[in-house]
Amino acid sequence: MDIVPQLIANSLIAGSIYAILTLGFNLTYSTAKFIDIGFGVETAIGGYSVFYLCKTLGLPLYFGIFLGLFCSGLVSFLAYRFIYKPLRARKASGTVLLIASLGVLTALQALVAILFTSQFQTLSGLIQANRVFELLGGTFTAVQLSIFCTVLILSVLLAFLLKGTLFGKAITAISDDEEVAKIVGINTERVMGEVFFISGMIGGLAGILIGFDTGIEPIMGLSWLLAAVVAAIVGGIGNLYGGLVGAYLLAFAENFGIWKISGEWKMAIAFGLLIIFLVWRPRGLFPR
Amino acid sequence: MEYLTHLAVLVGIYSILALSLNLVLGYAGIISVTHAAFFGLGAYTSAILTTVYDLNFFLAALCGVLVAAIISLFVGTVLSKFRGDFVALGSVGFNVIVWSVFLNVQELTRGPLGIPGIGRPNLEFGIWNYEFSSNVSFLVLSVIFVALVYFLCQFIEKSSFGRALKAIREDEEALQVFGYRTLHYKLAVFVIGAGLASIAGALFASYITFIDPSTFTINESIFLLSVVILGGLASNRGALIGALALVLLPEFLRFVGFPSDIAAQMRQVVYGVMLIVLMLYRPQGLVGEYKL
Repeated sequence: MDIVPQLIANSLIAGSIYAILTLGFNLTYSTAKFIDIGFGVETAIGGYSVFYLCKTLGLPLYFGIFLGLFCSGLVSFLAYRFIYKPLRARKASGTVLLIASLGVLTALQALVAILFTSQFQTLSGLIQANRVFELLGGTFTAVQLSIFCTVLILSVLLAFLLKGTLFGKAITAISDDEEVAKIVGINTERVMGEVFFISGMIGGLAGILIGFDTGIEPIMGLSWLLAAVVAAIVGGIGNLYGGLVGAYLLAFAENFGIWKISGEWKMAIAFGLLIIFLVWRPRGLFPR
Repeated sequence: MEYLTHLAVLVGIYSILALSLNLVLGYAGIISVTHAAFFGLGAYTSAILTTVYDLNFFLAALCGVLVAAIISLFVGTVLSKFRGDFVALGSVGFNVIVWSVFLNVQELTRGPLGIPGIGRPNLEFGIWNYEFSSNVSFLVLSVIFVALVYFLCQFIEKSSFGRALKAIREDEEALQVFGYRTLHYKLAVFVIGAGLASIAGALFASYITFIDPSTFTINESIFLLSVVILGGLASNRGALIGALALVLLPEFLRFVGFPSDIAAQMRQVVYGVMLIVLMLYRPQGLVGEYKL
């Protein structure tokens, strides 16, 4: 059997998860202008919220997902409100914010591990049969198909939000120039809080989808976040749609890379790509 | 008593790591999240040389320093091309790549199985042969190393080289205008830091007598970063305080009575909260003089 169609299918699936995460990461990066490592932990928060609400408490699935998204959004908002906002108010450097967000990730993922043990959990028991499809020689499951569709829906929704609403215009204004946005009367603090809430929800969504597809563990955040950062830099950091291209490019590089060498090198391939881009094309494929 | 000696040796090894990272992070202001890679390079080089080639520990450690220095020269050259916070990300990348090498080049490193049976250091002069086999004698050896590294770091701080580094950290362009080759200064301190970290690696490998890739992950680099930031940037005393506090913290948590798996996670919670609180209220750390 030829392996190439399956590799393409795998790349598209992995790329879709990266794409969702990259959208969330770029959203905060383009407004708040710092590398928010704490974003990674929202995947675990979203995933474990659904795990707790639906598996332990037995709530209906849609309700659980809704609450899970809300939880991850809320955590992200609180991190902004109580940590990043005061730091930004005193004009702390990007490095300080980066290290503080690293603290957020470390503390929260350990808290999740204390609450739910550090065992690998899966959400797949919550849906009945996970149908398997076959297309042109590649197989994928219904969950994986829905991950791919989520990217499409999410990109369209975000495009509408950013281009079509006043809120979106405020976000664009802040990412262009925060000071001027403030002068023309945009409540930048409030908009930014909402941006963190939305990006937290996106991170939680990715975590829930990962939970249905493979599984979740408390320390998943850092590796997913790093993949998202690599994808964002490849696509041009802060550029939402460039990030999508970067995400799929990264997934294809990883999956075709491990075709010839062992799968353990996957992270090294990702970071090799990152370093190549940082050296020769630091502004990415589509600079803002 | 044996337990206290064990802790003291670990504090010593982490003090060397903290002092060397402080040179890079505190004096030169390079946000390096790849220090565990050099720690690991030193450990693996000396472990392989002593177990497979029966080389003396001190020679093997020296070879480890050379390997770490050469690789760090390359890594530093690449990192110097990045701007701002991307240095931190790029250095994470190098840590991951080096860790992948430890994990995957099984012919050399035995991959996830690790290298067991690494011998303790021994000194040989003709017929006189002394092996640092007891933990107390190893403690003496590591204290000597910590003292040497500490005085080297103090010397660097007081020297004109150290003053130039601090000036570069504050305003790199200004120093370039004065005709300093700032790149050479930063590379030099990066290489020195990596070499010292590899000495800590050699000591660690020979003390524990077993190494595997799981010790040299990004999490270790992040831990070292928090050690230096807690103690205080650009302060050698601070690096020692940070190492002492954070190596003893998990032991303290164990004494408070948390079960061991919860204690391990509590430790991470404390690190995380500590980083946040430091950034919010005291970005220069306990006794540091430089704010990020």
